[in-house]
Amino acid sequence: MAEAKSRYEDIPIPEELSERVMAEVEKAQIRYRKKTAGKRRRTFMKGGMAAAAAAVVLFTAGVNTSEVLARELQDVPVLGTMARILTFRSYESETEDLKISVDIPSVEMISDELSGMEDAVNEEIHMFCQEYADAAVERAEDYRQAFLDTGGTEEEWEAHHIAIKVWYEVKSQTGRYLSLAVMGSENWTSAYSETRYYNFDQEAGKWITLEDVLGKDYARIAEQSVRRQIEQRQTEDGVEYWLDEWEGIDEDTGFYMNSAGNPVIVFEQYEIAPGAMGMPEFEIVMSGEQ
Amino acid sequence: MRQALYDRLVAYIIENQNKFYRLAFSYVQNQEDALDVVQNAVCKALENYESLRDEGAVRSWFYKILVNESYAILNAKKRMILTDDSSCWEIPYEEEGFEPQDDLYDRIGRMEKDVQSIIKLRFFEELTLNEIAEALRMNLNTVKAKLYRGLKTLKVEIGEERGV
Repeated sequence: MAEAKSRYEDIPIPEELSERVMAEVEKAQIRYRKKTAGKRRRTFMKGGMAAAAAAVVLFTAGVNTSEVLARELQDVPVLGTMARILTFRSYESETEDLKISVDIPSVEMISDELSGMEDAVNEEIHMFCQEYADAAVERAEDYRQAFLDTGGTEEEWEAHHIAIKVWYEVKSQTGRYLSLAVMGSENWTSAYSETRYYNFDQEAGKWITLEDVLGKDYARIAEQSVRRQIEQRQTEDGVEYWLDEWEGIDEDTGFYMNSAGNPVIVFEQYEIAPGAMGMPEFEIVMSGEQ
Repeated sequence: MRQALYDRLVAYIIENQNKFYRLAFSYVQNQEDALDVVQNAVCKALENYESLRDEGAVRSWFYKILVNESYAILNAKKRMILTDDSSCWEIPYEEEGFEPQDDLYDRIGRMEKDVQSIIKLRFFEELTLNEIAEALRMNLNTVKAKLYRGLKTLKVEIGEERGV
């Protein structure tokens, strides 16, 4: 029987196999995302207040020493005279099988008249980063357990090099707008990758939504523009977008303000296009009447 | 949690795709069909992940789908071939003095479908008898009886051969 088994195990695996399997996984990922999107996506407008109480604890616990904070304050990008973004807390840990790196940003308003505007957002950001990192560790642990339960060895598991990353990017810093993206991702699954965008309008003196930028009719305006651009890209690049799955724009749709002062809508990977397209972006160019 | 379960399923599939392919290939005996079997099985599994209730049952649950997909393609082929009138694709390939391990593997492949599946799942894929019972939707005792009967047949044949 051992010999029969070794003959069985010698059946060659065609290269095409993983492509075919991943294609199905990608397709299913869309269906799954769509199903759970409503539950997962949350903006600070909605969730921030509820999280506030817990965030205060995190805030005080998060600053290791004032010395560290002071050191980090020195090399921060200054955004005009409005605000600066600093790394509020940064940590990395690496074991044989799990690597975590977390950079939690914090917004600090510089001018006195805006001070205080950042508090709720900072709390939201800290919560998001911490929750994402914790959940990702848990998912990795579940995955590890499943792998071992199904006959994998510890050594094979280590070869997976699971990495969890939470970080941020300043998307734009114009005289008027500050756009910050906070991201979480895991290298072994894209199903949970999440990005949140925070946009501050100095002129209006507040954190803005798409509606603030595009007006009451923002959903229709943005959707039309995105659809038009997708059509164009489909014919130009021959890439198929999954418009059937798309539910349009709503208040949770992620966007940042680009240097031209236009909102750019960003989709998660796999949300409306094959994974190879990355995170598709669509600039909504506002026409003259705006 | 649903989400964790779904993710475990995806991870399990990616992790074990080579095994799925080998099992599928052992039934359908060609690359194109084996790829189709695996792809269909992955699609069905991810579409119906909600019917997967118990985390511990991922393996038997997935093999059930995989074996069914393999049978489905075999059956479709069989129908085609019968109407095709070309005599058969299942002619036993036997040659006196051929390497014994080839014979045993081929012989398993020619056994009655249920027995074949039980032996493959038990010895090649190393499922437990309980898992096999679940995967093939059979009573545990039926699985045992068929397995022992199947092994007996194989041993007898091997024994006879060696005696010659």
